[in-house]
Amino acid sequence: MRSLNYVQRVSLDFTGTLFPHAICLGDADNDSLNELVVGDTSGKLLVYKNDDSKPWITRTCVGMLTCVAVGDVCNKRKNFVVAVGAEGWFHLFDLTAAAAGKADSSSQHEALFSDDQKPCFTQHIPANTKVILISDIDGDGRSELVVGYTDRVVRAFRWEEPSDATDLGSGQLVLLKKWLLEGQVDSLSVNPGPEGLPELMVSQPGCGYAILLCSWTQQDSAGPGSGSGEDEGPSRDVILHLTTGRIHNKNVSTHLIGSISRGSKDESSKCGLFALCTLDGTLKLMDSSEQLLWSVQVDHQLFVLQKLDVTGDGREEVVACAWDGQTYIIDHNRMVVRFQFDENVNAFCAGQYTCKEGKNSPCLVYVSFNHKIYVYWRVELDRMEPTNLLRVLEERPEFRSQLKKLGVGEFASSHVCVALTGIHQTLLFLSKKDKRLHQVAQWNTKVNLTVTPHHRLIYF
Amino acid sequence: MAGLRDADPFVEDSFSRFPSQSNMYGLCQAGEQQLLAATLKGKVVCFRYQDLQHKIRPVAKEVQFTYIPVDAEIVSIDAFNKSPPNRGLVVGITFIKDSGDKATPFLNIYCDYEPGSEFNLESIAQSCLNLELQFTPFQLYHTEVQCEDGGSETVFLLSGHDQRIHLYKENASLHQFEEQPVERLFPELQQLPSNVLWLDVMSIPGGRRLSAFGCQNGCVGLALVNQTGPEVLQSWRVQLDSPVSTVLLFPLSCQTEASQTTGEKSVDLSGYNLLVTSTIEMAVVYRDVQECGMSRPTYLSESDQWDAVLCALVIDLDFDGQKEVLLGTYGQELLCYKFQPPASGGQGQFQLLWRRSFKSPLLSIIYLDLTGDGLRELAILTLKGLHILQHSLTITADLVLERLAHRVSMLTSGSELELAKGQDNAERDASAQREECPPQPSSN
Repeated sequence: MRSLNYVQRVSLDFTGTLFPHAICLGDADNDSLNELVVGDTSGKLLVYKNDDSKPWITRTCVGMLTCVAVGDVCNKRKNFVVAVGAEGWFHLFDLTAAAAGKADSSSQHEALFSDDQKPCFTQHIPANTKVILISDIDGDGRSELVVGYTDRVVRAFRWEEPSDATDLGSGQLVLLKKWLLEGQVDSLSVNPGPEGLPELMVSQPGCGYAILLCSWTQQDSAGPGSGSGEDEGPSRDVILHLTTGRIHNKNVSTHLIGSISRGSKDESSKCGLFALCTLDGTLKLMDSSEQLLWSVQVDHQLFVLQKLDVTGDGREEVVACAWDGQTYIIDHNRMVVRFQFDENVNAFCAGQYTCKEGKNSPCLVYVSFNHKIYVYWRVELDRMEPTNLLRVLEERPEFRSQLKKLGVGEFASSHVCVALTGIHQTLLFLSKKDKRLHQVAQWNTKVNLTVTPHHRLIYF
Repeated sequence: MAGLRDADPFVEDSFSRFPSQSNMYGLCQAGEQQLLAATLKGKVVCFRYQDLQHKIRPVAKEVQFTYIPVDAEIVSIDAFNKSPPNRGLVVGITFIKDSGDKATPFLNIYCDYEPGSEFNLESIAQSCLNLELQFTPFQLYHTEVQCEDGGSETVFLLSGHDQRIHLYKENASLHQFEEQPVERLFPELQQLPSNVLWLDVMSIPGGRRLSAFGCQNGCVGLALVNQTGPEVLQSWRVQLDSPVSTVLLFPLSCQTEASQTTGEKSVDLSGYNLLVTSTIEMAVVYRDVQECGMSRPTYLSESDQWDAVLCALVIDLDFDGQKEVLLGTYGQELLCYKFQPPASGGQGQFQLLWRRSFKSPLLSIIYLDLTGDGLRELAILTLKGLHILQHSLTITADLVLERLAHRVSMLTSGSELELAKGQDNAERDASAQREECPPQPSSN
């Protein structure tokens, strides 16, 4: 298994403790550059920007923050920061204004700790929150807020406000539906189904998952928020899938991530790709037609699953992190790259973040147990699998055509070696056994041939 | 950090974590496309790339070298291919066996004489010559010497804490290595001022060689020797203030094309230089040593900023025909210096081009073709394991294509003059390359 060392990192100060879902990367202030949002157990919301070790913005929330998210939850074409506490307090922050205010007041030594420290909206929703998701789950083009609970319940909310509303105060979250699941919900995700429409997926113990149907799309007459989803018990709106294979423990904690980009190359299939991981080390990549693309077994306790395009080819790799810091990056062809973060991990996330150089780049974010958050900001790889120069050259059509022009076209095969020397010198090595080259060299005086103890060399 | 103009052109391809730490004598090339790394706790790892179904993958495998006891601590490792016409790989490992009351140092030399298995590491590891040493070993080095019969032979040189360098040479009739007096073949390596920490020997045209050594007390010795005889033609000594970690002899240019155009520059770049790194002071390059001895020092500025420099390498890593100096430091940095020719009449200087951070101290660097494509990789041994850095393949492929296109355009323009010049250069390179090029894989 290929293993690498990432070195370039910045460390951010973080003195609190946090829940694993109380960290995310997103564009909190709508400047098209991503920030790191962290919520701690004392209710403090911290937003980090660039490589500054101190938080850019700190906000105080009610209760113990269990999950944070950045997204257009109000459907205003603008990102808000959402922080939800275990006690059920939903906080909405508009940091775009804060960013402007901060720029203004920077000279005045932050004299005005005024009302803009408060969330621009709060609402109490049912307590025992665990995980949230802001995404369009019913395919209407508008975002919904989905909340997973520690009591195996998932609720979907939608932001509703009067059409003449001027500020957020007049809007509120309206419950769309409640689902009751059989097992603990560790992750929420959205994945394109076989028809290309988004499907809400939740992870279920034992490397399983369930698709939650948005029944309000079928029964428009009832209208959203009518409470029709409040029926108790597992319903037909929950379609449980158990993946096959070696599952040692059917209760093992499972994580899931969907909508893994296939890149521009392969758009033939509408099926979305999603990945699953378990605490006992199973990793799977599947598509929404339930086809298994690969399965990997590792001996580390995986507790977070993320996606990140580390090669820059548009295809997102699966990133899984274990408690002991072992991190796996796996591409769609099951090529694995490992990285060992040298401490135990409190929480982990991967995504685009603007750390250095004023632009988003793929980053790995580790929250340690010693009051630091480490952001690895140079994690891009040229390619996932090891290769050599010849294979790279053979993928370039110019290589063969130029060798042909030089009269040695048929030798651009695997037993040629390339070496670079001098300013304009390139030479190819051929194994000594290849007698054809000698004939070519005699026939074609354009190339220069030298025989060494080991090789024939052609000089250009 | 002012003046860092370029990013480093290397991409890490793999990292292998080792179970225990190693030291600055713990890495060597063994055969064409593999290397050996020794760790303190008696384990030797063979690293290579395996070609499986048109995919290459890195493989680090422990090799069970026989006669290394479980309580042994490995000090140094070295390997070489026997000089032709002899065949075979020879591996030398020095270690200290500490059985509680008394620590005993040993040198084990592994080499297989069975036809067909001279290069098979597994069988070499089973045929051992075990030599007990009377001194604590340091660097194990090998170099080629001229024999009386005109042929050449590769020998081991081992420095020790007894202020001497010991020579081990194969006795052809007995099929085994034995210690021989060093002064017969290396008169420049006797009566040393202190323990030698690092030694480097380089053959130069005219049947001569340059030998350099760096000592624990800061003394650096250099000698110009006529190989026939052998006879010391000239020798120099300088005293530095701290232990010398490495000495390295090198020419600056890998070819003469660039120097051909400007006469003055050719004098400047064609000579031999001596790089000396010390544990406290700045690294220094003594220019043109066979003419000037150690009278022309050029300091590598800022090289003392990242703790002790423990390893060094001089290679042409941007393929422009001029070599760059790489220094690996205990302060977890790899530094790259490039020689800037003098603007007018000056000395010229080495400028820090880029640096790259690592997660643990750098101990040793070698440059070899592990992937079998003609392009060599940097193997860097750190306290935690082995890093393989590959030239950025995208950039290098662009460069190859650019050069091929240049050559095609020269051919199609039909400029006979250009062509002739190119061929001249190529022939000259060929002679230079013969020693430079890594041996390539045979096609079987």
